[in-house]
Amino acid sequence: MIELPEGKTLLDGGVSPTSDVKVVPAQPRTERMTRVLLIEDDDETAHEIVAEMVDRGFHVERAASGRTGLDKARADEHDVLIIDRLLPEIDGLTIVETLRRDQVRTPVLVLSALGGVDDRVRGLRSGGDDYLAKPFALVELVARVEALLRRPTDTRETKLRIGPLELDLIDRIAHRGSRQIELLPRECRLLEYMMRREGQTVTRAMLFEEVWNYRFVPDSNLVDVHMGRLRHKVDAPGEPPMIHSLRGSGFVLRAPA
Amino acid sequence: MPLPEFTRSTTFQWAIAIAGAFATGTLVLFGFVYWETATYMTARIDSVIGSELTVIAAEPPELRMHLVDTRLEGDPRRIKVAGLFAADGRRIAGNVERRPSDLTPDGKPHDIEIVRLDVRGSEPQMIRAVALNLPDNGLLVIGRNIDELGDIADIVERALTLGILPALAIAIAAGVLLSLRAQRRLEAVVQTVRRIVAGDLRERLPVRGAGDPFDQLALIVNGMLDEIEGLIQEISGVGDDIAHEVRTPLTRVRASLERGRENAATLEELRAIADRAIGGLDKSLAIVTALLRIAEIEHGRRLAGFGEVELAGVMHEVAELYDPVAEDRHVQLDVEATDIVNVRGDHDLLFEAIANLVDNAIKFTPANGRVELKLLKHADDIVIRISDTGSGINETERDFVTRRFYRSDKSRCTQGVGLGLSLVAAIIKLHGFRLAIGAGPGCTIEIIAPRA
Repeated sequence: MIELPEGKTLLDGGVSPTSDVKVVPAQPRTERMTRVLLIEDDDETAHEIVAEMVDRGFHVERAASGRTGLDKARADEHDVLIIDRLLPEIDGLTIVETLRRDQVRTPVLVLSALGGVDDRVRGLRSGGDDYLAKPFALVELVARVEALLRRPTDTRETKLRIGPLELDLIDRIAHRGSRQIELLPRECRLLEYMMRREGQTVTRAMLFEEVWNYRFVPDSNLVDVHMGRLRHKVDAPGEPPMIHSLRGSGFVLRAPA
Repeated sequence: MPLPEFTRSTTFQWAIAIAGAFATGTLVLFGFVYWETATYMTARIDSVIGSELTVIAAEPPELRMHLVDTRLEGDPRRIKVAGLFAADGRRIAGNVERRPSDLTPDGKPHDIEIVRLDVRGSEPQMIRAVALNLPDNGLLVIGRNIDELGDIADIVERALTLGILPALAIAIAAGVLLSLRAQRRLEAVVQTVRRIVAGDLRERLPVRGAGDPFDQLALIVNGMLDEIEGLIQEISGVGDDIAHEVRTPLTRVRASLERGRENAATLEELRAIADRAIGGLDKSLAIVTALLRIAEIEHGRRLAGFGEVELAGVMHEVAELYDPVAEDRHVQLDVEATDIVNVRGDHDLLFEAIANLVDNAIKFTPANGRVELKLLKHADDIVIRISDTGSGINETERDFVTRRFYRSDKSRCTQGVGLGLSLVAAIIKLHGFRLAIGAGPGCTIEIIAPRA
């Protein structure tokens, strides 16, 4: 289930990663490419993840076992590690613990077929930065990796500004240009979360976990309704939209072009 | 030779132990009786012979001879002993063959052996005797045969044998009998349990109706078996349900992918089909996830997260989360929770349970309807009431709702995976609360928590 990124078609060939070693990304980038190490023993899952991430411009290295994964994680500099929890030889959580003991601070996303709340807690306690239960949508994985790469650094700021949008966290008042926007407490937190992740895809599950602090996703489109309210306030009729819905994945806040 | 099976039974071992204790007790008792009797008799003999000695010794020498002879008269049991010896040791009167050398003439009773002389000849006897030196350097000996004491010992011994041996035999026989009986009942239970283990869950342990501990145990185990049988039936029913529920969307996915591969002419069409397929897969996965979550909660692994939960706060949070949804559907969502009420529980799970109920209520309330979330403090319990003006749950279904895994919300649940109420029931059960489904007009569901 590959989700195609916007603007890409099935017919233009895309990228088909052939092996589990280093994969050259399709689009050259000017800045240094983000280096991702994926430790995953299932070939098919790894193949799909690598394909998706390469499409998104990541440089992906894959290890198929815990032992080689740990060696690679120690040998090379990576920007983010994606580690499956159940691995041959050394299990995922042990790798994370070992790396953390060795003072390796690289952000880690733990993948696991174990989706229980306690499993999640254990995964995060061992040193993982985020925990994604299988099965997951690839967009969810990418969004979380991006979130780990661009973690908001200064959370002490009390005023956020993106384009014409300004948010005062103390007074809980936002302004778009000269227009004042009244926000409910939850809307304020939602907008803050979005503004701190400008240009980044945030998924419904991420919002639910981070803004509402809940680990379960109700089956109604709750997050969409809340986001709809917020968008209604932020993007008044006639103004270029700043909050965008991404079909099948989540939302993104961008400064108007 | 190995001991028979029953000797290993607890009943038998107890019977043996009790018989042993009984025997020891009886021995001690009889010993005491003998000792008391012997002491009493010895004291009596001592006082009799002591006073006789004093009386005879006080008489003049010629009368002494006479008195000694008189004393020995009329003694069919041959128990009286008396002797009067001259200073040179010669016997003057009495039935003692010669002056006893080992008897101290101090007027105090001693046990000695003498040779008795009488018409029937001489005979050695154990006697209790007192002796006193006379003023003429003679010696007066007064005694009494104490073979009597031996007779008493014999009587006691015989009584003991007659009493204790049958008692022991009865105790052991009862032990054997009881343990054989227990053995037989145990054997019956073992056979039944073997059949149950082999898979025949309809079997039950035999109950005699006597109400003894064995019966009580059997009744408890049978109750447990009823529960297990019920659970297994439910689970196998649920298994069919799960298979059905998961298979339905998967079948649709398969069909649409198959048709899409053949018929899609453009990329757009193919994408639409892929989207539908992903939606169908997500639905199947959601069912599996929901079931795993119910299982996780039912296994009680989350008890670690328990703490004090302030209910009004949780209810306001839920209302805040669902308010926009309700508004979109033109349903009024009201919360009435002002009292500060704490219960012991898992905040997130309670939130999830209430959220699920509110979610359901909003879904099944038509436009311009009302959903009410109320916190009630009763004398004995705390009630969270979620009521709506929707279609309600009919009476026949109400009983099934709280039953584990039963998808009672079939009629109400037209969308979603339909496991919401099962999840709520699992959470409520984990907390030891109750779920009550009340009568209309709409639907009223109450979570009832006992007051701490």
